[in-house]
Amino acid sequence: MELRVIEKEPTMISIEIAGEDHTFMNVLKGALLESEGITAATYDVNPEQSGGQTDPVLTIKTEEGVDALDALEDGAQRVVDKSDSFREAFEAAA
Amino acid sequence: MQDYEVEFVERGDREARFLVRGITPAFANGIRRAMIADVPTFSIDQLRVVENSSVMFDEQIGLRLGLVPLTTPEGEFEIGDEVTLALDVEGPSREETTETVTAYSGDIVSSDELVRPADDNIPIIDLKAGQRLEVEADAVLDHGREHAKHQGGVAVGYRHLQQVEVVGDKGEFADDEPHILRGVIEDDGELIATDEFDNDLTERYPDKELAVEDVPNAFVFHVETDGSMTVEDLVVRAVDSLRDRADELRESVQL
Repeated sequence: MELRVIEKEPTMISIEIAGEDHTFMNVLKGALLESEGITAATYDVNPEQSGGQTDPVLTIKTEEGVDALDALEDGAQRVVDKSDSFREAFEAAA
Repeated sequence: MQDYEVEFVERGDREARFLVRGITPAFANGIRRAMIADVPTFSIDQLRVVENSSVMFDEQIGLRLGLVPLTTPEGEFEIGDEVTLALDVEGPSREETTETVTAYSGDIVSSDELVRPADDNIPIIDLKAGQRLEVEADAVLDHGREHAKHQGGVAVGYRHLQQVEVVGDKGEFADDEPHILRGVIEDDGELIATDEFDNDLTERYPDKELAVEDVPNAFVFHVETDGSMTVEDLVVRAVDSLRDRADELRESVQL
């Protein structure tokens, strides 16, 4: 997964995540918004045909004292945990 | 971490409905999209035509063969891996009374028993006397986002679970109209698919005043696969693809 940091401040990060689309970005955004210490999380993506910036750009803003990059790492971990937990519940029922 | 609760409403190898409680709309949609576009399946992609004296062009035959679902086992192959298949069918001989012989997906012979047509009864083409179709084909493993023939899930969606509550009796002169509802309802903890009562709530609760509400964070998935894998495999592989991407992101961020 290729990442490119576009803007970085202690409580804010704007990062391009190459090769991803709404499938993963929206799940990640949803998980970030559930996390403590995050004040805003959003992503922007242009359609394939637009010809310009077509890789999604994720922007996170955090509360004072929370590093935005750490928050992203926690958010990704949250998606991993969710997936594990879902898989466990699904396989128990199946 | 929050716990999910999964309960099957209907289940088959290729089609199932299951309820998930405690799931956010974002995650539910991610799983749905992953089932459609991110779980790879095998599909014929290249043809070497040895003989095609049928009434159709090579390209048309190629398109039809590409749409035949092939079984795709987990973990055995990587994206871009190829498996060779062959098809050799001849029309009836002139002496025979039958007019045509149909080439079916079941006539396709695979070089790898793990990857073979999921159905044997898909017609490819009718062959008349003197016509013959002999091809060698390469099936390739790829994602649904590259081409729809690689989609494992053919009808994948979800709806909110709906709670039906009887709030009173209908007035004596109330309109006698049907109350159509589709999906799965919950009545005192019991899950009922709406087709059990013809999708019409007045069949189940005659002359009752009802309150229907979506249950928050409870979604009923309806999943149908093309036969390349079971519903359970498809769901698990879709969730795993999300997990893998999140894990990769977490690792890239750490660096």
